[in-house]
Amino acid sequence: MQHILIVEDSSTMRALLTSALEELDVAVKITEAESGFEALRLLPRQSFDLIVTDINMPDINGLELVSFVRNNTAYQEIPLIIVSTEGSERDRDKGVGLGADAYLVKPFEPEALRDVVRELLTRTESGR
Amino acid sequence: MAKKRAPTRRRSSKADREFISEAEEIVERMRDDLADLNDQRSESDEVDPELVNRIFRSAHSLKALAGMFGFDPIQELAHRMEDILDDIRLGRVSIHSSAVSLIEEAVAVFGSMLERLGEPDAIADESERIANLTQRIEAARSESQSDSGGFGALDLDPSILRALTEYEEHRLRENIERGRNIVLVESIFEIISFEEGLSDLSAAIREMGEVLSTLPAPGESPDSEISFSLLAATELSLAEMTDRLNFPNAKVRLVLDNPAGKAAKRAREPAPAAESTESHPELHAGERNPEGDALHSLKSISDTVRVDIRKLDELMNLVGELVIQRGAIGEVVARLLADTKTARIGTDLDKVCKMLDRKLKGLQASVLDVRMVPLRQMFDKVSRVLRGLRRELDKDVRLDIRGADTELDKLIVEELVDPLMHIVRNSLDHALETPEERIAAGKNPEGCIKVEAFQRGNHVVIAVSDDGRGIDSEKLRTIAEERGVIRPDENLTEQEVLDLVFVPGISSRAEVTETSGRGVGMDVVRSNVTALGGVVDIASTPGRGTTISMTLPITLAIIQSLVVRVAEHRFAIPLNSVMETLLIEPAEIQRSEGREMLNLRGDPLLLRRLATEFELTSPPADAKQFVVVLGMGDQRIGMLVDNLEGQQDTVIKPIQGPIQSVRGVAGATELGDQDPVLVLDVASFVDGSIRKREAA
Repeated sequence: MQHILIVEDSSTMRALLTSALEELDVAVKITEAESGFEALRLLPRQSFDLIVTDINMPDINGLELVSFVRNNTAYQEIPLIIVSTEGSERDRDKGVGLGADAYLVKPFEPEALRDVVRELLTRTESGR
Repeated sequence: MAKKRAPTRRRSSKADREFISEAEEIVERMRDDLADLNDQRSESDEVDPELVNRIFRSAHSLKALAGMFGFDPIQELAHRMEDILDDIRLGRVSIHSSAVSLIEEAVAVFGSMLERLGEPDAIADESERIANLTQRIEAARSESQSDSGGFGALDLDPSILRALTEYEEHRLRENIERGRNIVLVESIFEIISFEEGLSDLSAAIREMGEVLSTLPAPGESPDSEISFSLLAATELSLAEMTDRLNFPNAKVRLVLDNPAGKAAKRAREPAPAAESTESHPELHAGERNPEGDALHSLKSISDTVRVDIRKLDELMNLVGELVIQRGAIGEVVARLLADTKTARIGTDLDKVCKMLDRKLKGLQASVLDVRMVPLRQMFDKVSRVLRGLRRELDKDVRLDIRGADTELDKLIVEELVDPLMHIVRNSLDHALETPEERIAAGKNPEGCIKVEAFQRGNHVVIAVSDDGRGIDSEKLRTIAEERGVIRPDENLTEQEVLDLVFVPGISSRAEVTETSGRGVGMDVVRSNVTALGGVVDIASTPGRGTTISMTLPITLAIIQSLVVRVAEHRFAIPLNSVMETLLIEPAEIQRSEGREMLNLRGDPLLLRRLATEFELTSPPADAKQFVVVLGMGDQRIGMLVDNLEGQQDTVIKPIQGPIQSVRGVAGATELGDQDPVLVLDVASFVDGSIRKREAA
């Protein structure tokens, strides 16, 4: 089963993301992190196939998390999606520049998220 | 489920009501924040960035909410407002431009729209005004100047700049413009425990300036280590900073030696304190530190100055020590007064002591007050979670929140979130029927969960009521019998049966759902609340609903207590739980079913002997005895003691060692004569009827 990590400080958004992903046509396991720090703690302990992260969080921001994941040989292959209220072009460009695979602006259509997730998960699968 | 309730234009008065009440709250908050913003603007040229952030987030919430309920014009206007606030917070539009008055106008429009939302055409009437306002906001935005890049002067690895959000870039730029030096602090931590070390380091840097970003990177051995680079702005020089930062593993490096800074610093020399983030003597809770709060990112919202709770504990402890010392002086006064030769001095000292008392009381009250936080944040959290669950479970429910301004000790509030969340989830998941079931029962298909807080004496009561199916006491009894918690022939009152829900492993519903499942039951709620010195009560009417109320002390730190004596030992009983004291003759004690009772003005009062509870030598049976009537929540018991010694302010200190787990003891305290005295945990005695059952 594929394992997805959701990093998002708003509980409502976490619930929305989780429920959107639970309706994927394949079974996935979802782990929620309430903050960037929690994600940093979870990464070495569990193995993930995909990370979905917010940008604005109180401890470290999503861009910093992307940078960390991409600079760490153990995780750098994990596909990353940024989901953020920042409609700002600049943050999107930065996220993509740092190695995020996709960027979704909130509010998003659940189906749009599932499309991106599906694509990224198959990509890693066939890459293996 | 999401499909059923997705942002459809379902227009019902109920949905409108729900929207209006939440939107009104947001608009109210924006009004308050705007008023603060205007005050700050008129006083200085720099406003608290966190304030702008908060208004930005309010606009954002309103936009999302209006979108969800299909109020397009409101969503549109909120969107524009969000845009221009974003420009302000990123420094693209000046806070001193006309932008703020446009925002005020928009808030006024929201206000009048919400008031009239019930009326037909309310939105159509406002549409022209909205269009006009939108246009002017766009015009104001187009005048904005965007600056990006321009960090060439920084001696910094581009990877750090790449990970800055636009907001962080703006903060960096702002700090450079204000002449501050930019430094990079790097440190490596163990990955399993990085948070504590990192937060200490961040806090230390914040004492000297602003932390702009925190970039994690793999350490040398990536499996066990993690390194952090903290970008910070400070008015200190590199040498001063290195000197003050007492972290052996942290490397500090100057990224920008700001030439503008030295000039600016000299110019400001007469009042250097005003710019520093260190102690502002005049700063108190509720007042905002214009510099300090810039440190927090957009999402960390708080209405008060942030203080480490440990510092407050320390302060509280010191106040406690003072109170104890005051007690010691009191003893000296008594000795002086007792002797005619020293009585005069005694009287004088007594007067001084009385003055000291008043000041001490003031100090105590202020320190306590700082620890108090309104329950609003916790309630907001509950309401957010509930909204999410409602969709998940497909139940129609209205959340009615009252008394959100009621205040409680911060530490208690932190510990209450889980129990409260659990109770509310339980209500939604188990207690409330599905809309179909409700219609069949002749009820409004929309259920209601009421969360209410109020102060009762020295306690705060938080009650969660639902109008659901109520608890099936027959079923509850059967389960308890099956589990062997009670004997089939055991005679229980209705209330005693209801109390069984607090016994571990008993749940009136066998199925466990995702919402309130996970093996946590009401017994955990009760033990959490009891650990805080509180009690949980339950009341339920079949078909009508259930109320669960938690009664909690306002603070755990300092309490008034009644000192009692049993045999050679003294105990302190928190005065907020003492209803009254009585002197009784042994003959007044009645016995039934092995329990001792007292007729208290017609009502039976269960008696317990403190001597028996702690296995102390009992007093002679024929002596007069004192009864301390203890009450918490709805429960009352009488505690028999040998003697009453008077009231005292007591600071409860936790006990370590074997006695720690002794039932009935909340902690220890010192009285003026330096003897340790045990403080009774009233909740555990009052709640004893259930505990006994658990042990059986």
